[in-house]
Parts: sequence; structure tokens; C-alpha cells
Amino acid sequence: MTGAATQSRFGVGASLPRKEDERHLHGRGQFVSDIKLPGTMEVAFLRSPHAHARIKRIAVPPAAEGRVFTAADLPRVKPIRIVSHTPGAKSPAWPPLATDRVRYVGEAIAACLAPTRGEAEDLAQSVAVEFEVLEAVVEAGEAVRGAPGLVHDQWGDNLYIERVIEGGDIEAAARAADVRISRRYRMHRQSGAPLEGRGILAYRDHRLDEVVLYASTQTPHTLRVALGEILDLEERRIRIVAPDVGGGFGPKARLYPEEVVLAALALELDHPVRWIEDRGEHLLTAAHTRDHHYELTAYADRQGRILGIDARIIVDAGAYGLWPQGPYQEANMAARSLPGPYAIANFRARTFTVATHKAPLGPYRGVGRPGACFAIERTIDEVARAVGRDPLAVRIDNMIGPQAMPFATIAGMRYDSGDYPASVRLCAELLDLPAVRARQSRGEPDGRLVGIGFAAFTEQTAHGAAEVAARGAAIIPGFESCTARILTDGSLVVMVGIQSHGQGLETTLSQVAAEELGIDPARISVRHGDTESTAFGFGTFASRSMVMSGGAVARASRMLRDKLCRIGAHLLQCDAGEVRCADGVVVGPRGSVSIAEVARTAHLRMDGLPPGEEPLLDATATYEPGISTGVFSYATHGAIVAVDPETGFVELLDFAVAEDCGTMVNPMIVEGQIRGGVVQGIGTALYEEIPYDKAGQPLAGTLADYLLPGAPELPAIKIGHLHTPASATEYGMKGMGEGGAVAPPAAIANAVRDALAALGAPGGAEVNETPITPERVMAAIARAQNG
Amino acid sequence: MTRIRLCLNGRDVAEDIAPRLSLADFLREHRNLTGTHLGCEHGVCGACTVLVDGEPARACLMLAAACDEREVTTIEGMAGDPIVARLRDSFHRRHAVQCGFCTPGMLIAARDLIRRRRAGSEAEIRLGLAGNLCRCTGYTNIVAAIAEAAAATPEGESR
Repeated sequence: MTGAATQSRFGVGASLPRKEDERHLHGRGQFVSDIKLPGTMEVAFLRSPHAHARIKRIAVPPAAEGRVFTAADLPRVKPIRIVSHTPGAKSPAWPPLATDRVRYVGEAIAACLAPTRGEAEDLAQSVAVEFEVLEAVVEAGEAVRGAPGLVHDQWGDNLYIERVIEGGDIEAAARAADVRISRRYRMHRQSGAPLEGRGILAYRDHRLDEVVLYASTQTPHTLRVALGEILDLEERRIRIVAPDVGGGFGPKARLYPEEVVLAALALELDHPVRWIEDRGEHLLTAAHTRDHHYELTAYADRQGRILGIDARIIVDAGAYGLWPQGPYQEANMAARSLPGPYAIANFRARTFTVATHKAPLGPYRGVGRPGACFAIERTIDEVARAVGRDPLAVRIDNMIGPQAMPFATIAGMRYDSGDYPASVRLCAELLDLPAVRARQSRGEPDGRLVGIGFAAFTEQTAHGAAEVAARGAAIIPGFESCTARILTDGSLVVMVGIQSHGQGLETTLSQVAAEELGIDPARISVRHGDTESTAFGFGTFASRSMVMSGGAVARASRMLRDKLCRIGAHLLQCDAGEVRCADGVVVGPRGSVSIAEVARTAHLRMDGLPPGEEPLLDATATYEPGISTGVFSYATHGAIVAVDPETGFVELLDFAVAEDCGTMVNPMIVEGQIRGGVVQGIGTALYEEIPYDKAGQPLAGTLADYLLPGAPELPAIKIGHLHTPASATEYGMKGMGEGGAVAPPAAIANAVRDALAALGAPGGAEVNETPITPERVMAAIARAQNG
Repeated sequence: MTRIRLCLNGRDVAEDIAPRLSLADFLREHRNLTGTHLGCEHGVCGACTVLVDGEPARACLMLAAACDEREVTTIEGMAGDPIVARLRDSFHRRHAVQCGFCTPGMLIAARDLIRRRRAGSEAEIRLGLAGNLCRCTGYTNIVAAIAEAAAATPEGESR
């Protein structure tokens, strides 16, 4: 491992326990719903019960007047608009409160205010809306063909965007192939479901002439950008604070209508307003995710060497695009990730992002990758079966080897470094593959069928401006910022533009500053999530904060270190080149001076400064990695399952991850992120789904219908590490926050496939749809047995 | 309005409340005890777990009025509890906290498992956590932290 040259007990590479824990362990975290302001009125939203309807009349009872706000009552609110520079991309204007039409169940129609939420909900129920119910577009496959109607009349079709990503000669690969495998795959719609829902507390600060929003968001600075545009308000008059945020996972990295409405209400009214999302609202209206359809054909030779991949991908993006990136990235990322860690020479992915009368689709841990990984990794296993070889061997044969790095993929990615085959071998070791095969040959006393499956992927992280600009985005999160400030007593405040909501960045960014400055993390405060105290930054998403914000902290800290050294050398009467910062002091050849003393000189005793040196220890830096195309983490996941052929129930017996994210700043936190991601991926694989009926009604409105993984159904997750530091980032870091969620659906489906290989004839049963519910397993078994 | 008197975190309190007020809203909105978190408000996630007469209860499903003449303990009232002290230490060292939203309810549920001697194996701890969801950690470290605290708890502290 590089970078951690001065491997200390608290610098880069140390598994330092987290600074965040103390407050949470005592119930003293401060989430939005914990903040109280006198006179606050609670907001409940009146929402559409229909997937598609015309609003003919909204009747507010006389007793409720002045406490119910519709679009007509908030004229300053403009529609939310997505700008995309991608040719052919369509984007509907989205009024934060519906005007004449509702396009999904849960769309907000009116905000209702009362002293308690119960009373606000009562008020919402007293408002009568007259609807003309219209036919809903629900099936994405039909929507592509323009049936049964249009979600946005003026479009002429239901396509947000249609795009082809291709390279090589797929027709030639088809002609040359000995083996052709075609499958349909489906990853159903789900929710991000952080344990804390969304929440907003908004009020007007007359002294500072600003509107303040406490919001459960991953992206405070860009939320301010959006509110400034939509409310036509100068950004200096908007402050966003994301306090403790109870999980984000992507859905909280988007602008929502509720945030616009609460800000507008705070501007109109002379009291604070608060909206705390309940779980039903979250499942209905917070960004939905996944919802991918694949038709995929692989062409291979007799050895299982993949010659080409031809795919048709449909992403069901729902009724509107979420600001800022809209619905465009999901299918694009799925297509570009589809080749995975494999050297595929001929490739075509035709992608269709369709509008339906469902809740808007947004990012969720892994974004387009889990679906793509599911499609390609299930296919690799089927190719292996078709040529009669072990899926692991076929996987390794097709992989890009370490000697080929950096590698430009056929789908336009540049993989920077890594040993992908080594991760496959390590994962098989972690699960003791020979022991599983022996167990399978013995059989289970209870009649269940045991299977093992693997899936590998690469994860693009910390990509810079050029990469995001190439995707057609109007807002390009290509850098992060840090202001580092040493106060008069030598303590350090690090102010960053990201937002930490479980990732432990208050700890890891302290470790980076400690690495550079030799200041104990216990003497460092990390401030984040507040537009008032931090320079502009984009927030925490896309596995970017450790690399991007960590890089900015390293740079700002080094600027401070240089100044500490100059002042310290002057106090020590030596050259700046002769001193260094370590253990809270500036050390010279003949003695040392504490950083506290240097800080005192820089602020309170200017007479001790070197000639020409300015006072203050305050530095702001930005950071973008040395390459814009991203640094790629990668991993192989493996799952062992037992499938009950009588009930279709799948038990997960074991799960292992063999991964490489370069240099780890805090290995303990890295492993925590991996395990958390894996369990979310297991949720996608086995439990989580928001089905819609034919009328466009969502059928999962509680956590009794929407099943989140719990402790009893999970094994302990095993982890093995490989270490290939990135050359283009500080310390060799690579991002890794999302990867855990990418491969579990594919690995578990391959394990179920392995378990069911002997069932029915010939070739066994396969489940190519997530979640892999008992019902779907039984249907697959029935299909296999009935030929 | 209905009058309730209860012992809350060791102190007697009395208040006039609306009959439909939940215990969770009473604790959070009326008593500013915001360590009791609301993740689903329908009794599945366990983030609002508190003790009522010493037994774990869902503060979101229980009416405050039902706590008249009873003893309610929240995470804020656990300062003197030796098992919770051990759990805080092991949760910290073993990285069993990420966003922190499930943490107070998780600690109260874990304390109860240890007190009832239902934390003797990984499988037993996992089963015992069936009513407490965590969306961040994947549970591995939570289970390990509880096992460690259980092992360090003398028999006399369990019941």
C-alpha cells in the first residue's frame, strides 16, 4: 500500500473508531425531525390517489381556507425543469404542486398546515378533489411502442431518450459464434428506503434576510442552486443545512417538489413549516429505483470465449425526471457497465428510457450497475453451461488481465488498474468452493438443494468533469472543495462541501488532515452539510466523497502545513525546508514548537511572523482526480444458497466479497460500507419490490409489504481485500461506497441456478428476475419440469 | 384531553394529552426526548423501541394514554445501565453504527436480549434482532458487538 508513508495510529490506513458514534449511541444525533422551532406548523400533502387523472376542481372547505395551499396559492413556484445537452433527450416541466393533471399515485396536489401532523392529515382529507380518471401507461414494454397512450401529450411518444452504445462488429460476431445464448432479465422496481425518510424544516430568518431549510439531503449546495432557480431567489438569501441524515443511498441526492413547496411556504408565511415524510409517502413518492428490462444475446466460441454482446435495455423511469440529472443516466450507465470486467470486442446496447404513470426513478446505490451486472453475469453462467465448463473458469478466461491495464472498453470506459481474475480466485477461496461441491454431491438431509454462484463487476468512481459532461449533464459534479482553518489554539476545523450520512467522513477526513498535519483527529472538527459554513461542493453520492473530498482536504491541509512550516521555522530560527509537522508540533533540527504556538503567532502575535508572511491559517482548495474517466474499484461476490424445491424458499447460507478499492483510509469503515451495500443488494435479490397493478396502483405501501432484509435471514458477510492503489488519486484511493450493492442479485441468482441445475430436464431451472421470491422460484421449477 | 402520570426516565411527570397521541410523539414532541426515532410508524422497523415497565415496546404503536401510571425508559434514561454502557463501547469499537438512526432502538433491543440471556450465539442474536431494522450496516458488526457485550455481562446483571 502506498500513501500511508507515516502509517500512524490515526492517519491514512488506520481503523480509527468513528468520531460520529458518541452522539448516536446516546440518542443525541440531530435529525431534521429532532429540531424544534417555536410556532412551527406541520405540513401534510394531499396526494393523487390515481395514476393518471385530470384535476377538474379542488374544493377547500371554508374552515380550511388559509391553511391549504395549491399551485394557484403559490404563484412564485415555477415548474422543475431538467436541462440535458444530450441530443433527443426530452424533459417534461414538473409543477411541484399539480395543476391540471396528475401522472402518478402520490403526486403532490396541495400542502395542508396545522399545529400537529395528525391535524394536518385530517385537513388534507377534508379537501375534495374532483378527478377525471384517465387510462394509465403502466407496462414499460408497451410504452416503448406508444401504447396505450401518452404520459406527456406533446411528446408524441413515451421516450425520455433512446440511445445506442456500440463498438466492433456485432453482426460479424454473430456469424462467427459457435454458441448463442439469449435471455430476458428483469430487475423490478424498488425503493432506496433509508431508515429515516425525507424531512424538511423551513423558516425565514429576517435578521439575515434569508430562508433557511433544514433538509434530509445528500446535496445541500446543489439543492440551494435549484431553489434559487425555481423560486427566483438569489442564493445569498438561501441557506441549506443537512444535519444528521439517517441514510441516503442516492434517493436523497435529488431535488423533490416538497423541498420547493416548503421553501415557498416559509417565504409566504410568518412561521416555520415542517414536513416529515412518513413511510407510506416514502414508498410512494421518494425516488424509485432499478426497474430494468433486458433482452440480451451473447455470442461465444466453443470454449465459452465471448465474441459479442447484443442487448436491448428498457428502463422504466416513471412520470418525471428528478433534478438535476433527470432520468437519463440509468440506462446509459447500465449499457456502459454491461461489458463488466470482460474483454468484449463486439458490442451493441440499444437503450430506451420510457415514461410511465409511476413515481419518478432516481439514483440508488449502484445506479444502473446492479441490473447490468445481473444481465451479464447470469449470461456468463449460461454460456459456461452451454459449453460444459465451470462458470468460474469461463469468467476468468473472459476477464481483462492485469497486464492489459489501463484498458479501454468497447462501451467507452477506461479501466485504470486491478487484477480482476485474482478477485474471482480469492472469492472462491473465501467460500471454500471444493467443500460446497462435496456437500452438493452428498445431498441435503432435508431435501433442499444447495447452490453456489459468483458475480464480478467494476465500479467507476470519482469520475471528473469531462466524464460527466460527456453524459450530457447540465450540472457537472467534477470536483470537491475544502476550507481548512487552524484556530488560535491550534485546533483544526475542516469545512467540506460533501455531506456525511453514515459513511463516517467526519472520521476519515480527519484522518486525512491528521496524515498531512500531524494533528490528532481528536483536535479536528469536520463541518459538512451546511451551505453557510462550507465552500461550494456537490455532496455525497456516486462513491465520490472519500476520493474527491479527501483529495481537497489533503490539498488544503498541505497548504496549511507549508505555512505552519514557514512560521515554525522562523520561530525555530531555521529554514522552512528543515522542519516538518508531526504529533502536534513543528519539528526542526534543533528543537520544536507546538502547532498551538504557531497558531497563536499567526493570529494573536503577528510580531512573531516571518517578514512578509500574512496572518491567519486558513486555506481553501479544490480537488479533481488526475484522470477524469474515474478510478475503478472491482470485486467478485459469491453466494451459497439452499433452495427448498417444495416451497421455493431461498436461504442464504454464506456470502463473500473479494474486492479492491486501492488504498483504504480506514479499513474498518470500508468493510462496514461493503457489508451494508451487500445487504442492500441482497434486498434487491430476494425481498424488495414495489409492484404496480394494471391501473398503476403501487402495491407496497408499508414495511409489511415492502420487505427490508433483517438480521435473521442474513449470514455474516466475509470480506477479502486486494490492493491496487490508483495512480491518479491522493494516496491511491478509489471510491467504493456503492459496489457492495452491485453484484448480490447476480451472485445469488447464479447460486439459485446452480442449485436448480439438476431439476427438470434438460438443463434445470433458472430465475432471471429479481427479487427471487418463492413464487418465482416455483414458477421456474414448473417451467423446467414441464419442458 | 386526558391526564396521564407516568415515571419517565426515573422522574414523575404529569401532562394533559390528546387521547390519540402516540407514545413516540409524546416523547419526541412533548418531552423533547428525540433519541426515540420514527422509521416506519407502523411497528416494523423498531427504531422507536423504548422500555415500558421494563419491557421493550414500540413507541409508535403505543398510545401515550396507555402509559398512565407506568414506567417509561428511553435511550436518554440509560445513563446508569451497565449493559448499555458495555454495548455503547462495543458498538463503537466494532463499527456497529453508521447513520445512527436505528442505533437507540437497537441498543434497547440488544440490552433486552442480553438481560434475558438470549444473546448466547450469533443465530440467537440474529433472531432476537428480527424486530429492529438497520439499512446501513448489514448487521454483521451489530451482531458481533452484541455478542461481545453479552460475553462481558456477569450473570447477576441478567434476569
